[in-house]
Amino acid sequence: MTSSRRPATSPAGRVAARGTGGRGSPVPFLLPALLIVFAVLIFPIVFSFVVSMFDWPLSAGGGARVFVGVDNYKALVRDLEFWNSLKLQLGFIFIAIPLEILLGLAAALLLNREFQGGKVVRALILLPVFFLPVVSGMTWRFMLQPRYGALNNFLLALGAPEITWLGHPTFAYAAVIVQDIWRMWPFVFMLLYAGLAGIPTDVLEAAEIDGATFWKRLLRVILPLMYPTILTALLLRIIDALRIFSEVYVMTEGGPGMATTLFSLYTHRQAFGYMKVGMSSAMAIFLLVISIAFAVTLVRKNMSLERLEDQGGSR
Amino acid sequence: MTMANRRKTITGAVMLFAALLLLIELYPIFITLLNGFRRDIVILSGQKFALSQLTLDSYALVFKNSQMMRAMGNSIVVGLFSTALSVGVGAMAAYGISRFKFRGRNALAYSFLVFRMLPQMSLVVALYMMFRQVGLRDTVFGITLAHSSFNVPYVIWMLIPFFTAVDKSYEEAAMVDGCTRWALFRLVFLPLVAPGLVVAAVFAFINSWNEFLYALILTGVKARTAPVAISSLIGGDTLTWGQMCAASTVMLTPVFVFTLAMQKFLIRGVAAGGVKG
Repeated sequence: MTSSRRPATSPAGRVAARGTGGRGSPVPFLLPALLIVFAVLIFPIVFSFVVSMFDWPLSAGGGARVFVGVDNYKALVRDLEFWNSLKLQLGFIFIAIPLEILLGLAAALLLNREFQGGKVVRALILLPVFFLPVVSGMTWRFMLQPRYGALNNFLLALGAPEITWLGHPTFAYAAVIVQDIWRMWPFVFMLLYAGLAGIPTDVLEAAEIDGATFWKRLLRVILPLMYPTILTALLLRIIDALRIFSEVYVMTEGGPGMATTLFSLYTHRQAFGYMKVGMSSAMAIFLLVISIAFAVTLVRKNMSLERLEDQGGSR
Repeated sequence: MTMANRRKTITGAVMLFAALLLLIELYPIFITLLNGFRRDIVILSGQKFALSQLTLDSYALVFKNSQMMRAMGNSIVVGLFSTALSVGVGAMAAYGISRFKFRGRNALAYSFLVFRMLPQMSLVVALYMMFRQVGLRDTVFGITLAHSSFNVPYVIWMLIPFFTAVDKSYEEAAMVDGCTRWALFRLVFLPLVAPGLVVAAVFAFINSWNEFLYALILTGVKARTAPVAISSLIGGDTLTWGQMCAASTVMLTPVFVFTLAMQKFLIRGVAAGGVKG
């Protein structure tokens, strides 16, 4: 990609045209970042991989470290709690994210017009995205308390019976999902709204003058043009949802029982509850491989260096 | 119905819908802000909300709680240090990637973005054992370093477009004057990309400010940051919801001020790897 024979007009050649490329070495500029990345990213990953091949107790008092090869991975396959956490994690992703995308798209389409207070609405609606994840988890836990929680007060006023939401496996799982939808659909909205604003108005107006119904315009014009943005939002949300931890941890601590022990929560429990660092590392490597697969897809499809350079810091 | 009438109806419906969305989205935030001004005992007793019971007692308790104050202090220090470290190091690397030609340039840029998206759970157990080994566990330096694992790649990705946008003529003029690469970076580029540095710094600070998992595992009483301290206000027999809400409000205020002030940059800032703790 950095061949000097590229014409300067192509996006990749632009750097060559702008930079003084060739003179001097980039190494002194890259070295500090590379050192940090090596110390806190690459080395821990390699270390995790090594530990995942050992029966490795958390503290020295837990016995000796024994090399076991792939036995930890085999043990995971046989571990029902592992499959439970995977099932909960996938359910979380498959329920929460489509709803977030739908809500975000609907709101983007509806709010994409001038009306009084539109700007304020579009700004305020993003606040939950910036709510500290921990505070979000705590606040939802608070609202779902029996007797004094906001939701129960509301239901009691309607004459409904009182429910200990977070004490019930299904309700607790649903609450974790609702919390995530509440917090993250505005994030999808923000991306899709920007994507929608990028569609030239004459394209939309032409379709409108042609007399196309709203649904036809949506399916034939808007969605195809929005597809790259929707895909970006989807991939970003999946990568983010794969690693969800803090909100759920403070909201339910994985309970009741194992009802909300999503993948990261079970990884955490393996290391700091069961003191089995080897098993925990095997789970960490498993999650890492999946996350890298999604991240590479996203980066290759939608975040190429050329596109980034084209933005030119304008936004 | 005439066209104008139809338009009016649609706009009315949209405004109603927008109001409903806002109500739902802001309600939990409102709950947090409001209950910070109520006392723990009043909340727990399940009393109906009364204006006359609003007090600053919970805030007073939070500000008198030395552990909480220490944690908030740590949050500020860790946030500032990790921001300074990652913006300094990240700006250099972004300059290196965008203004030099070298083999593997694309691959390097891509790996930085992928690095930002790695799940923290995959790294934290290894970091815990490494830090324990070298005595970095429960130190401000250790948690700062851990936060740079997501902030350095984040800042690099934020800054590349700003560095690429600088016109070549600046560079050439300076080179003719006999400027070294380092002087060029410091005296020509840094001032030109200053807006980018500010944006990257704000988001790096928020990333660190919101972070929970590393702080939970890698710190103890000494270097604990505020998100962990807030989470410890609830659990078992301690149900100090009023203090939890008051402390949360203190933590939320700077974040909300920044985000409302930086509307223009939100999408870039968030899409580059998010505000996720």
